[in-house]
Amino acid sequence: MNNEPNEIKPFFPLGELYFYLTGDCNLRCRHCWIKPKYLLAGRSSSYLDKTLFAEIIAQAVGLGLSGVKLTGGEPLLHPQIADLIAIVQKGGLRLTIETNGTLCNREIAEKIASVENVFVSVSIDSPDQDIHEWIRGKKGCFFEAVAGVKNLVQFGVRPQIIMTIMHSNKDQLEPLVRLAESLGAGSVKFNILQPTARGEQMFADGEAVDIAELIKLGKWVDEELSKTTKLPLYYDVPLAFRSLKSMFSPKSGNGCHTCGIFRILGVLADGSYALCGIGETVPDLIFGDAAHDPLKNVWENSAVLNDIRAGLPAKLKGVCSECLLKHVCLGSCIAQNYYSNRDLWAPHWFCQEAYNRGLFPASRLRRPPENQPLQEKEKQLPEAKNSGYP
Amino acid sequence: MDEYINTKMTANPLIVLREEFDDWAILFNPDTGDTYALNPLGVFIWKRLDGTQTVSEITEAIRTSAENVPDEVGKEVEDFLRDIVRLGLASGEKPSS
Repeated sequence: MNNEPNEIKPFFPLGELYFYLTGDCNLRCRHCWIKPKYLLAGRSSSYLDKTLFAEIIAQAVGLGLSGVKLTGGEPLLHPQIADLIAIVQKGGLRLTIETNGTLCNREIAEKIASVENVFVSVSIDSPDQDIHEWIRGKKGCFFEAVAGVKNLVQFGVRPQIIMTIMHSNKDQLEPLVRLAESLGAGSVKFNILQPTARGEQMFADGEAVDIAELIKLGKWVDEELSKTTKLPLYYDVPLAFRSLKSMFSPKSGNGCHTCGIFRILGVLADGSYALCGIGETVPDLIFGDAAHDPLKNVWENSAVLNDIRAGLPAKLKGVCSECLLKHVCLGSCIAQNYYSNRDLWAPHWFCQEAYNRGLFPASRLRRPPENQPLQEKEKQLPEAKNSGYP
Repeated sequence: MDEYINTKMTANPLIVLREEFDDWAILFNPDTGDTYALNPLGVFIWKRLDGTQTVSEITEAIRTSAENVPDEVGKEVEDFLRDIVRLGLASGEKPSS
């Protein structure tokens, strides 16, 4: 008989499943971090089986599931997408859809809108048709995406517009916000180009905007552009580069929006369980197969997931180990960090490069570099006279 | 409650204040790495936690230093101070009776 006391293991609920529904996509975006096969026309030929989808969700509910994200490839390419949405709806789960918008016709928009708790994002990389289509790799996709947004809005869903910033569109943030306003979108998110999959080639081709300029753009979005619109704007850089006000102010803050790595799991189009979509390009981050492996076993016993739970953020290396926000930021994107370094604890490339170049905010470091003075005013008495109540 | 407003508060000397460009600040404990965000009002209060000023006096300093101070500022100050005491970031010395 084993007299050892029972080991008490921390409980990590599986809050959300990210379904990468299709292994192909009807666009061929230059910056895509998944790199799906290009599908010229028709429905997906490489997609997650509907029955398996339902079985995975049924298993996940017992592990704490409260939401499902449908992404791709392109999720609306899935030949049974309406049925999948109905399964999520029947389960009373929160639904998130990430789409390029081009296939979002009235019928599917109405179906999406019928879900009580739904959030949709549509990628539009430029208000300029030619630039958007150059980035997205297909003629005609700009007006298809715009039509998709309009269909969603018509049925009461105000999607988030997502733009990935690169050289060819870096001067179009404000016009994009104006486009989003005119379409009735609910918010705008600006992503940073990541050196993953096709994004790597963009970096090699010089399409990536310099970090110093990205930091400056972020401040401009935060301090100026956001004042010109009622739409919430999200500039998606690691937290060290965002103002505390933009994250925590009850009046104007919009939260931290960090990766939910402790509570999510990816499901690829072939039924593989993975950290997230990174499993499409990094087989090390695939943990099992939904057709054969019980989800509970994968979620609770995957060595990589348990390493992450035990080691994050304490084991983070480089500048992340010194960052005061590491408990919230969690390395920004472990998948990206692993892709670049084959090391779960590697620092995020953006933060490390900024640190190496003296661009990392000194106030966010445990030990600021000696050659980089703090902006703090610790010794001064507060000068709050007539400053207005915060 | 009345007793609390006469409490003199002292910041934990181990805690580091890092002010930023927009008058917000980070408080962090170098030993544990625990980190907290402070808005400008929190920074104003934090700088007065030197063991000589009572909660009431700090509240009054806010009223005289800023415009448009709401009537409920006293409760906000007290809630903030109770939070930071609970987190071990400050301590209070009650007046001797």
